[in-house]
Amino acid sequence: MWRFIGTRVAMGALTIWVTTMLVTLLIHAVPGDPVQIMYAQSQGTTPEQIEQVRRSLGLDRSIPVQYLMYLERLFQGDLGNTIRGGQPVLEVIMQRLPNTLVLAVASMFIAIVIGVPIGFLAAYREGTIVDIGLMVLAIAGISMPHFWLGLMLLFFFALELGWLPVSGNGPMNLILPALTLGLSNAAIFARLTRSSMIDVMNQDFVQTAFAKGLPKAIVLRRHVLRAGLLPVVTMMGLQFAFMMGGAIVVENIFSWNGVGRMAVEAIFQRDYPIIQGFILTFSVVVVVVAIAVDALYAVLDPRIRRA
Amino acid sequence: MSSVLLSVRDLSVTHGSGTRAVPLVHSVNFDLARGQILSIVGESGSGKSMTSKALMGLLPPNVTATGEAQFRGANLLDKNIAPPRGTGIGLIFQEPMTALTPVLTIGMQLTEAMVVHGLADARDAKARAIQMLERVGIPNPKQRMTQYPHELSGGMRQRVMIAMMMLLEPDILIADEPTTALDVTVQAQILDLLRDIVRDTDVGLILITHDMGVVAEMAEDVMVMKAGRVVEAGSVHQIFQAPGDAYTRALLDAVPSVETASVDSKPTDSQALLSIRHLSKTFSGGRAFGIAASVTRAVDDVSLDIMPGETLALVGESGSGKSTLGRILARLTKADKGNVTLAGTDLLSLEGAPLRQERRKIQMIFQDPYASLDPRQSVGAAIAEPIKIQTTLSKADRAKRVAQLLSRVGLTPDMASRFPHEFSGGQRQRVSIARAIAAGPELIIADEPTSALDVSIQAQILDLLSDLKSENGLTMLFISHDLAVVRQVADRIAVMRAGRILEFGPTEAVWASPRHPYTKALIDAAPVPDPSRKRSARAHALDTFPMTPLIEAAPGHWVAL
Repeated sequence: MWRFIGTRVAMGALTIWVTTMLVTLLIHAVPGDPVQIMYAQSQGTTPEQIEQVRRSLGLDRSIPVQYLMYLERLFQGDLGNTIRGGQPVLEVIMQRLPNTLVLAVASMFIAIVIGVPIGFLAAYREGTIVDIGLMVLAIAGISMPHFWLGLMLLFFFALELGWLPVSGNGPMNLILPALTLGLSNAAIFARLTRSSMIDVMNQDFVQTAFAKGLPKAIVLRRHVLRAGLLPVVTMMGLQFAFMMGGAIVVENIFSWNGVGRMAVEAIFQRDYPIIQGFILTFSVVVVVVAIAVDALYAVLDPRIRRA
Repeated sequence: MSSVLLSVRDLSVTHGSGTRAVPLVHSVNFDLARGQILSIVGESGSGKSMTSKALMGLLPPNVTATGEAQFRGANLLDKNIAPPRGTGIGLIFQEPMTALTPVLTIGMQLTEAMVVHGLADARDAKARAIQMLERVGIPNPKQRMTQYPHELSGGMRQRVMIAMMMLLEPDILIADEPTTALDVTVQAQILDLLRDIVRDTDVGLILITHDMGVVAEMAEDVMVMKAGRVVEAGSVHQIFQAPGDAYTRALLDAVPSVETASVDSKPTDSQALLSIRHLSKTFSGGRAFGIAASVTRAVDDVSLDIMPGETLALVGESGSGKSTLGRILARLTKADKGNVTLAGTDLLSLEGAPLRQERRKIQMIFQDPYASLDPRQSVGAAIAEPIKIQTTLSKADRAKRVAQLLSRVGLTPDMASRFPHEFSGGQRQRVSIARAIAAGPELIIADEPTSALDVSIQAQILDLLSDLKSENGLTMLFISHDLAVVRQVADRIAVMRAGRILEFGPTEAVWASPRHPYTKALIDAAPVPDPSRKRSARAHALDTFPMTPLIEAAPGHWVAL
């Protein structure tokens, strides 16, 4: 068990290390001179100023040296300063990251609480009108783009009914963006749960459980659900990464003050230090979630633990 | 012995309803008494499993049972009555590897039904489960309770399964092919256990099987089924000595008997076609950062020669390394050490074009004809593929060759345009054979080619293989776990265990005077299709066989002793 998790942590560290390299290279991937592009929109910057920025970013050195400098600063907790305003990037990100995490976790919660029971019910009623109806709903949910669903929810619940605020930050403001992200993911979980449960129900050990005379409720809860949830747990890890990505769109619709919105602003303003910091933070979050999911998987499936 | 437990009258099982109804079982009648062992015999599709599922109320949706099955004063087939699953009738399945829930502990699975049925409270259930594990011959029962199914071997899992069902104190136990998925030595142990349980608890046992050897060994009464009908029923002696029905006779004839040898081996002094020297292959499990946690020696310093025109059988149980050896020869797996030469060419060092050249000379036939043919490729295309790759024949000539090959393996040329799902298992295996011989190989590696087939089909495929051998001079490495089958086809036998060859020699010599205790154990464990000669000796403890280098005990007969 611990060796399994140890391996995962090491692989995660490797992933983050590769990300740091890509982040350093990112600034060079843009055609043209990065500093000039950064300042293209602002008037009256003198060549001396540009030269100074270039030096402060270390862009006058060779790429390996730049990378080592970047790593050195990284280990000191320094992600650089924003170009607009000159605040420490780490501070800016940390101010907003909790908002995004709250949104992602709330969405994940909604997705699971709605999606898994629907999938389970559809599997239980496989082939009936209930099953077909739920799955049509699920396809509709998957097909609907975030921005459209978000706008529709906004229109009905905030503008027409006036139940919920249109935008801002606060517990009530969380509901609509979380629903937007959560519902489309619920549809994915519903479909996956359904097919996984149907798969498990056809397995021999379910027959064994019935042959022992166990009531259907116990067979489903104890024997089917746990085995059937394994693929769903894997999907949770993958979907969490997608949710962080989806947050970028949804945060902008609902003016939710998270890192996604910050990243979009930074991209428009060519604020490279923020973009680099954002990518790195994002990858750390995704890796941490993936490790947590693997650990959960090991708890659920004894075969993974390897005695 | 006389009290009737279960009385089945006019049991029929039907799939679908109305005009599209397909009968699966026709009007079956039988009685089962306490302490009686009744065997239902039949090949796939005979309806033997459907009969047991009907009694358990476990029929798939869309399948209905009619008739009467009186048990404890009620009709089991009455839909308004809850079937006495577990507490009345226990069911043991064929495949112990998948019949236990992988995510729950053994203890949980043993005790839960006792608690649900109110037979015991949680603590009492645990104590009884440990006792029962001990009873079915599982060492360290306390420890096993906290383990998961994947930590146990197939034989151990089948014991757990038996314990699980017996804990519910049923009157009837239905065992559906309980040993088919197990090695022959383990099969002997499980059959012993089942017989002991019947004797000690007076449970009535319905043993469903396709194996006449198992029937002869276990049953008192036999019911032979074919295509949903009972073709013959009677005592085991009656059935074996004076089978009344043609199908029963055919079934008995099809059993590869350990008594009759059909191979006349001709010793050859010629050069070996294939020669294996000091071949080794290890697999490592639990790899983390390139450091292996456990190492399995799948093939351990094996040396063998295969003479042109002979059939060499590689016999062993699961995990013996016999399939790995076959795969190394076909270059499907890489060896760690040693070398293999085919007619003087070093096989293992070849790469690229020369390797493709040599590949033509070695072809494989796999065990499962359902998985070894591409479902989206017509069988004609499947057979033509190796011809296309390995020869320069024109399209028309290829078609002609495919037609020839199909007739050669007992199919008709017009079948070339059909797809695998339109064929039965036996026919598919014929297609696999046609594909293997299509490019004119020098050596065929047949890995359990008949293990997935019914006995009557198995006999036909074995006949086909020996025809090909005598007419085309085919050289074959025949990998199998079944000594009786091997005896029928092989000139020489190599017995393998834990990656090593323990005994090696002419088939008759190994058979008549086995020198290694493991070979003896294997021969002893094989059920003999003769009810008057029930096997008495218990299977040997399996961990204590000598595994020294081979010495020549008699001319051409080598043994590791």
